[in-house]
Amino acid sequence: MTATRAAASVGPMVKEFITGTLRARAEGKQKLAYTFIVCHHEEIFRAMDVIPLWTENFAGICGAKRDAERFLQRAESLGLSRSLCTYALCGIGFDQWREELGEMPPDAPWGGQARPDFMISSGQIICDPRSKWYQASQQYMSDVPIYNIDLPYPLFQRDRDHRDVWGYYHKYIVKQLRGLVAFLEEQTGKKMDYDRLRELVDLSDRTWNLIDETYKLRRAVPCPMGTGDAMNTMVPINFMMATQKAYDFFLDLKKELEEKIAKGEGEIQEEKYRLMWGGGLPAWYALNDFNYFNSKRASFPVETTYRMVAPLYEMDIPETKDPIEHLAWRWLGFWTFWYDRAQKRPGSEPDVERLINWIEEYKIDGVVMHEAFSCRSWHVGLIWQLHQLAKIYKPIPLYMIGKGGKKEKGYRELPSLILESDIIDITSYSEVDTRNKIDAFIETLESIRLNKAA
Amino acid sequence: MVTLATYFAGIDVGSTMTKVVILNHGIIASIIGPTGPEQRRLANKVMEEALKKADVSLQAITYIVSTGYGRINVPFADKQFTEITCHAKGIASLFPNAKTIIDIGGQDIKAIKIDATGKTVDFVMNDKCAAGSGRFIEVIADTLGVPLDQVGGLSLQSKNPAKISNICTIYAQQEVAASLAEGISVSDLLAGVHKSLADRISRMVNRLRVEEEVIVTGGGGKNKGLLKALSEQLGHQVLVPEEPLITGALGAALMGSEIVEKAKQNHIPFKTKERILEEIKIL
Repeated sequence: MTATRAAASVGPMVKEFITGTLRARAEGKQKLAYTFIVCHHEEIFRAMDVIPLWTENFAGICGAKRDAERFLQRAESLGLSRSLCTYALCGIGFDQWREELGEMPPDAPWGGQARPDFMISSGQIICDPRSKWYQASQQYMSDVPIYNIDLPYPLFQRDRDHRDVWGYYHKYIVKQLRGLVAFLEEQTGKKMDYDRLRELVDLSDRTWNLIDETYKLRRAVPCPMGTGDAMNTMVPINFMMATQKAYDFFLDLKKELEEKIAKGEGEIQEEKYRLMWGGGLPAWYALNDFNYFNSKRASFPVETTYRMVAPLYEMDIPETKDPIEHLAWRWLGFWTFWYDRAQKRPGSEPDVERLINWIEEYKIDGVVMHEAFSCRSWHVGLIWQLHQLAKIYKPIPLYMIGKGGKKEKGYRELPSLILESDIIDITSYSEVDTRNKIDAFIETLESIRLNKAA
Repeated sequence: MVTLATYFAGIDVGSTMTKVVILNHGIIASIIGPTGPEQRRLANKVMEEALKKADVSLQAITYIVSTGYGRINVPFADKQFTEITCHAKGIASLFPNAKTIIDIGGQDIKAIKIDATGKTVDFVMNDKCAAGSGRFIEVIADTLGVPLDQVGGLSLQSKNPAKISNICTIYAQQEVAASLAEGISVSDLLAGVHKSLADRISRMVNRLRVEEEVIVTGGGGKNKGLLKALSEQLGHQVLVPEEPLITGALGAALMGSEIVEKAKQNHIPFKTKERILEEIKIL
């Protein structure tokens, strides 16, 4: 159940997208490419009329439909460990099955994932399966070429301004993206239309700013849209960027949220606790847990997951008319967005700084994270972030018994909850245990609420 | 103990044991019985025994709170709270300076940070695996042929604790069986098992910043060998209630008394369930 009309429209939108890719495959007029989200290359794909097949998205669909297990088991039977990225396992299992049959596996979710013409992997700092997954899939599709792009960014250093080195990174990323253009030109037999690319980059930039404005509306009390909805609205952010449809989607959502705020309508009417989804990919088969939180009068005004945009007008990136150079600067601007602020706060780090800023902006009472066992790159460090947050940031005023038995006003850290399961492997999930943890967390929030000093 | 005007009951339906505490001016009865597959029937049975022991009728109980995994399966409970909240409340009433609680239950472990009023400020739970829980000890004790109540004492006789590297209950069982065949003594093996268990528990507990007083509750609190290993691993002294199994039920009863007191103070009526126990039939 979603709180907004916009989020409710996403399911059919995804289904339509999957159906569209299958239709395109059958017609054979456009090239189809396996690829990954958050690579800042959508504009290049769309300018070349290449249809991206978001393989993580398809695995997520299998998970949300609780139909990933048979593909995971198939990957295991191919000798791949269940402890690897389950998105990748699901995708590899699906590919092998489709290739073996020469057609879609029986009852494939929403018609299945189309066979690609080529695969664009991405050796990003954050995720190593992104460079290994397609190599494994290629065993079953040896005629499908792979092109890998590498998109690094300077790591945070407390005593170093990242701008000292980001010029080198920029040069490298530009080269990577130009390499991608050359590969696509070779595969499609078409030349890149740079005017069109510039228009698409401009459309994406405007969409980024619009998303930022839209999501900031969720600061309202009661919160008009929660993370349960945002796990749907991540689709136009991450899978439809550089399309007019994505821009229009957020125009509609912004209008809807403004209307809800004007009427005082919240995700839940009698909002009691405001929580942040502070990290971790969701358990796609258990999105209903957000409704369970809602039933306890807890809303989620903000999440760090899948908010893969930042306001461009707040980024200190050089101006350029070259769209490829701009994409590279935007990449660097996004990943270093919190660096300056983190440097100013002793003990902080960019990810912790983002938590602190959003706790204040969105008036957060507690942080919830999800540790998905099969995804190291996104989940390593979550507990450390919570430790660091508790160490340097204590926003809750409480009366405590101090020295000599006197009542003193003190401050304590925000409570946090770590849920444990996986992105799509349902065998790692227990609804009873998860909800028991949620119940205990809500009781903790309530005891803090009752003890809060004025 | 809080002075109470009337009777309150707490029932903790855990994964292995079901516990009931009845309070008046202090604990007047407590009962511990095994939790079986028919939790609802058992809750009635254990409550009936506790009432008999306390020599009070069910109608005389002002408020009943249930807790534990099976808390929703207690038909006569007026309200439910999680075991986290109830352990915190129960322990704070017994140890006013408690800051950290470690509950070593039959199937899971929990660590709870509490404030001076017994309110939870943070917690962590292990619910994915029996490793680290009472079940782990049961399996190992069974493998070694040692009665459960002798496990703690025997391990304290160890001069050279064995190294148990597996944390999975099943693999650890195999490792212990193999070590036994190699001639390693039972006391050394048990000490090694406790060390391994304490290591696993402390890794989880350390997610919270441990502060003294540290109280261990649940079945694990009855195992002296485990307590010694845990204290060494944490670098803190650990304290144990006289009866560590009933602190959740005690806390539940205290939660009930708080609800009633608050309602009285604010002149608000409080709702209770019909005071009927289902007939217990032996199947």
